[in-house]
Amino acid sequence: MWKVRDDEPGYAFLKESTAPAVNYYEAPIDLIARTGGSLPAGREMFINEEPGVGANPNRNKQHAFHFTADNCIGCHACEAACSEKNDNPAHISFRSVGYVEGGTYPDFKRMNISMACNHCDDPVCLKGCPTRAYTKHVEYGAVLQDPETCFGCGYCTWVCPYNAPQLDPIKGQVSKCNMCVDRLEVNLKPACVTACLGNALNFGVVDDLPDNREQGKLSIPGFPDPEITHPNIRFQQIKNMPDEVTRTDGMAVKYHKGDDGQYRPVVDQKKGVEKKWSLSKLNSRENPLVIFTLVSQASLGAFLIAFLGAQLGIDSLAAMRNSVMYVPLMALTVGLAGLGMLMSATHLGKPWRFYRGFNNLRHSPVCREGLGMLLYMVFAGVHLLAMLPANEVFIKVVGDWGHLNGFAAACGYLALMSGSVGLYYMYRCYRIPARPFWNHWQTATSFLGTAITLGSVLLGVVGIPTLIAFGGNVAQLFTIALGGIALGSMMEGLGLWFHAGAMDKANNEGSVSHYIQSTVFGKSYVLRNTVLAANVVIAISLIFVAPSVTTFGLALLLCLSALVTAIIGRTLFYVLVIPTTMPGAFFWKNKDFEEHARDIGLANMPQVGVVAHAH
Amino acid sequence: MIFGRKNRKPIAITDKKVVEWKYAVCGYCSTGCSIEVGLNVEGKPVASRGKGNAPVNQGKLCIKGIFEHELSGTAGRGTEPLMRNKIYDTFQPASWDAALDKTAEEFTRIQEKYGRDSVAVVSTGQLLTEEFYTLGKLVRGVLGTNNYDGNTTLCMASAVSGYKRSFGADGPPGCYDDFENTHCLMAFGSNLPEQHPIIYWRLKEALEKRKFPLIVVDPRVTMFAQFADIHLPITPGTDLVLLNALAHVILAEGLQDEAYIEAHCNGFEELKATVAKYDPVTASRICGIDADMIKNVARIYAKAPSAMSIWTMGINQSTHGTDGVCGINNLNLITGNIGVPGGTSLSITGQCNAMGTREWSSCSGLPGYRMLEKQEHRDEVAKFWGVDADFFPAKRGLQQTDIFPAIESGEIKALWIVATNPLTSMPNQPRIKKALEKLEFMVVQDGYKDCETVNFAHVYLPGALWGEKEGVQTNTERRVNLVRKFVEPPGQAKPDHWIFSELAKRFERGRAMTFPELSSDIFDEMKLLSKGDKRNLDISGMSHDLIEAQRGIQWPMREGEATGNPRLYSDGIFPTPNGKANLLAMAYIEDNEVPDESYPFWLNSGRVVEHFHTRTKTGKIGNLNKFSPTAYMEMNPDSAREQGVKHQSYVRLVSKRGDAIVMVQLTQRVPHNMVFIPMHYHDCVNRLSLGLLDPYSRQPAFKQCAVRIEQIDQKEAGRLNVERRAY
Repeated sequence: MWKVRDDEPGYAFLKESTAPAVNYYEAPIDLIARTGGSLPAGREMFINEEPGVGANPNRNKQHAFHFTADNCIGCHACEAACSEKNDNPAHISFRSVGYVEGGTYPDFKRMNISMACNHCDDPVCLKGCPTRAYTKHVEYGAVLQDPETCFGCGYCTWVCPYNAPQLDPIKGQVSKCNMCVDRLEVNLKPACVTACLGNALNFGVVDDLPDNREQGKLSIPGFPDPEITHPNIRFQQIKNMPDEVTRTDGMAVKYHKGDDGQYRPVVDQKKGVEKKWSLSKLNSRENPLVIFTLVSQASLGAFLIAFLGAQLGIDSLAAMRNSVMYVPLMALTVGLAGLGMLMSATHLGKPWRFYRGFNNLRHSPVCREGLGMLLYMVFAGVHLLAMLPANEVFIKVVGDWGHLNGFAAACGYLALMSGSVGLYYMYRCYRIPARPFWNHWQTATSFLGTAITLGSVLLGVVGIPTLIAFGGNVAQLFTIALGGIALGSMMEGLGLWFHAGAMDKANNEGSVSHYIQSTVFGKSYVLRNTVLAANVVIAISLIFVAPSVTTFGLALLLCLSALVTAIIGRTLFYVLVIPTTMPGAFFWKNKDFEEHARDIGLANMPQVGVVAHAH
Repeated sequence: MIFGRKNRKPIAITDKKVVEWKYAVCGYCSTGCSIEVGLNVEGKPVASRGKGNAPVNQGKLCIKGIFEHELSGTAGRGTEPLMRNKIYDTFQPASWDAALDKTAEEFTRIQEKYGRDSVAVVSTGQLLTEEFYTLGKLVRGVLGTNNYDGNTTLCMASAVSGYKRSFGADGPPGCYDDFENTHCLMAFGSNLPEQHPIIYWRLKEALEKRKFPLIVVDPRVTMFAQFADIHLPITPGTDLVLLNALAHVILAEGLQDEAYIEAHCNGFEELKATVAKYDPVTASRICGIDADMIKNVARIYAKAPSAMSIWTMGINQSTHGTDGVCGINNLNLITGNIGVPGGTSLSITGQCNAMGTREWSSCSGLPGYRMLEKQEHRDEVAKFWGVDADFFPAKRGLQQTDIFPAIESGEIKALWIVATNPLTSMPNQPRIKKALEKLEFMVVQDGYKDCETVNFAHVYLPGALWGEKEGVQTNTERRVNLVRKFVEPPGQAKPDHWIFSELAKRFERGRAMTFPELSSDIFDEMKLLSKGDKRNLDISGMSHDLIEAQRGIQWPMREGEATGNPRLYSDGIFPTPNGKANLLAMAYIEDNEVPDESYPFWLNSGRVVEHFHTRTKTGKIGNLNKFSPTAYMEMNPDSAREQGVKHQSYVRLVSKRGDAIVMVQLTQRVPHNMVFIPMHYHDCVNRLSLGLLDPYSRQPAFKQCAVRIEQIDQKEAGRLNVERRAY
């Protein structure tokens, strides 16, 4: 138990609660009631394995921060007190202070915002976490995370709108604000609140205003839409801010006051209007995910067309299945799926704990994606094995074991089903409200389109030479492959068209991503779009031209072009996303400065607080 | 659990396993916060927390204090004395005997060859008061050089001179408790939330209990300026004009406290005649504050039942620094706001023990605010120390800012630097570097061997830091507070008072005097010397243990008293010849370097909350340094557009002294014709600054000079920026 000092100052103690029965969202503040009484009050928390129930009379009520934005002086005392208590290294901070500012000298206003975890009513981190490292407790409503369970996928850092979970690239795990539940148990406010020097940060039962405060607003300028998670933070901001406030960090976002008085993100053209290539910036820490999604989708697409086409009795595809090359083709798809799984594991902070990725099937799309793709790989693998006895080479070398065609087909259908589930949840993983650029149906058309395009490429590259060598309807397969490329590319293109339009008008961080897409990556973006359109045109044209060496040659180039388009498109997808994070400061929590510090070598000094080479 | 596992996941929260908490007063600024440092079972400092019942900070700490326990593990500490013959040689480790013998020999040789004053000593505001007293005893009683000063000349000298001119003696008359009583607070050139966050918190607490007008005078829109009821964005260096104009309005409208002036002030007629020339309209054209606003502020201040003024470097670091302080004192004297609850002049001091050095180091004279110029003081101290009074110089010698020019001119041949880093902190760094190269001998005594000034030293003596030795410090409100020793210094590093005593033993005069070993014994010696009729700086009622028990005691605390006294001059009696305070008639003379066509920007400088001074400490603690790990400059976005300067790019600034490379932060915090650079970085702002000196305090005008902005290749600038950051 935390020890209360003999001379503990009065401001450090939580006040008596006069909170209403329900919070702003009409949810019961009493957390036992929120569970429908399925859990008892007065349970031990076993903080650091110590037994005992804290003396806090409100320990089963939802607690929340209260932030008087008018008062914050940006002195970092809250951040420091937090890091001191939790013994965090310089590059990790459970609480961060950033700011927005506006006006013209001397009519200038800066508003500092101190933000940690908001222990949300709807904890998207908890729901997203594949390992079930998170728990929302009936004690204080604290959302606590166990770093030892975490395998460092970082998905919680994607879904949290407040940048609360901290992924430590050195330790390869996430940790976050623990609400100082050890202090709460003895009736003390959290360390950050107790340390506040501007009388800005406070804490207590949610929707129970602190003494001397009159407002419990849901939002202030720079704060993400509270509807995403129903965060447990309330604000007082009585002093007016200018109609437009800017961020000092590199994020090309500013906030504009709407007719309803709420501030919404709009594009701040910090990166100018010049269109650039920025090809080297396409290289990011999400590279393994670029490979994972592309190869998994290519594998799925190829499997889908090859297997289903043959099942449906399509001439050329049946010939392909009956050929000696079917097993190698299947081996290729299973191999690609395996490569994908490997890539997604290397993306983890602790890859050897990959098996924990299936622990939260109830909530996490990451789990379902992983399980779907794993089962796809397994069933496709079994399908391959079941097809082996029919393979001529196998028969020649090993002998005739008889056919298992029925079993193989059953496995094939199972693979298709689990693959579809995997692909669907792969898409669901990216429907993140805190990442508006991804949160659009275009992600689905992109994933499915890529599957069809790259699947067709794969099938064409393996199948056409096979049919030429062993006989079969080459022209039909050629048409199918080209048609697939055309169809997939059209799906992708259609999605991108609507996506660009939606992002352009979105008035959220998605618009900012689109702005970056059209400027910093403008030339790469235009190139991808042009080539994508060209791919469609060329693919369709080639269908109507008689197969010849020239057309095969052109088709081969088309395949290459489709692959390059997919790679540029997918890398853009990852580097462009801008989360709804809190505003940063000039150095701290400024991604542009972090990048610069790495570039010039300043990050090699650990006291700069920037990890030199991110995971 | 509402969501998540049915089975309990372990809840692990860091437990630092503190077994003992040791008491200390913070070693950064002069707020004087009481800290408890937590030691684990190995005796390693692992945690810091504010002392809950301390009168100053009531359990709070700022970011620097929160991580102060990490100081003992910081990089770059000196662990053994170092020596070399020439400053281009490599340092070799040496024994304490060898290093101290060499120092004593060189000082003796140089003094014999060039005279006593050819050895200069530049001290600090960072040592413990007992150490300052010991150093003073060594310099005044043994070395006998008159060129002895502290780096307090860079921060509080103008406040000292101003207090002396107005009240007859140094010493801030007010206290933090005045916030609870005042009806108007006016802050001049003080960015309280950033520079003194705990004092700001005290003010904020008072304001939440009872709202009173807050007026902030600052050319920059700091958080303090933004939170003020009235912000006066003044033209740099023109505070005296504003102050004269405020006095003008008060006198013109008859708002002054006639009875107080009559009973307790000299020089009223002269003041009246001078301020008559500073009508609000005339003043507005110089100081940039419109006439109506000046009248408004004067009325609010004068009509408040009690009103107080605080100030920091915005006033002190100016060519009119002392005049500015006296102008503030004038304002408070004519409104009867001295020595009353909520009515005071209160300088907010920068260094943890700037007050201690002012009181006891003998830098500006003799210990305990005694003066070389007063025969009775000379006799008293000479007798107490057992030295000949004639050995003391006739009057005060050179101040820090005059010592470097005296090296230039060849008058000074040897320099002893104690716990300060002039190579980063002095204005016009190119000039300082050149001067240091001329020295025949230089000793640097510092806790850090990587402090830039060490590069010019022949001998380096490793000192103990905060918490590695025991003794007292005095804060802004005259509160004497204690640092207990809780950790051993690294390697052979030694407490500074040990170094002083050991050096004294190497001189004949030193061997004839006594230098107590224990800091509590030194304190007892100071107590005896502090006693005396009508002396305000009386600490004879205090002891180390009593100071800890009361979490600091405000002097005067005379023998037999239960505790200290919150305010000075409550009786209206001042330590001047006739017991009255002096109203000072001061005309404003324009003497700054101001922006012109070639150098169109004001260069302003100041602190940031996460750093202290030249970053020798805070630049090494990641959880502080990360908030501003490299030099930067605030610039107005409108002028940036005109100059083609981009946010978060580098520019090269050029002044008539030199150049500096900084990263640009665009913000409307600063006016169109001004840039602001934090003062903490080596090879940065002081390569540019001019530092014209105040005629009384000899304090440099750090905050007023002119620069121009040049473009620089961004890759090259990035490379230089990294090269210039050893920490």
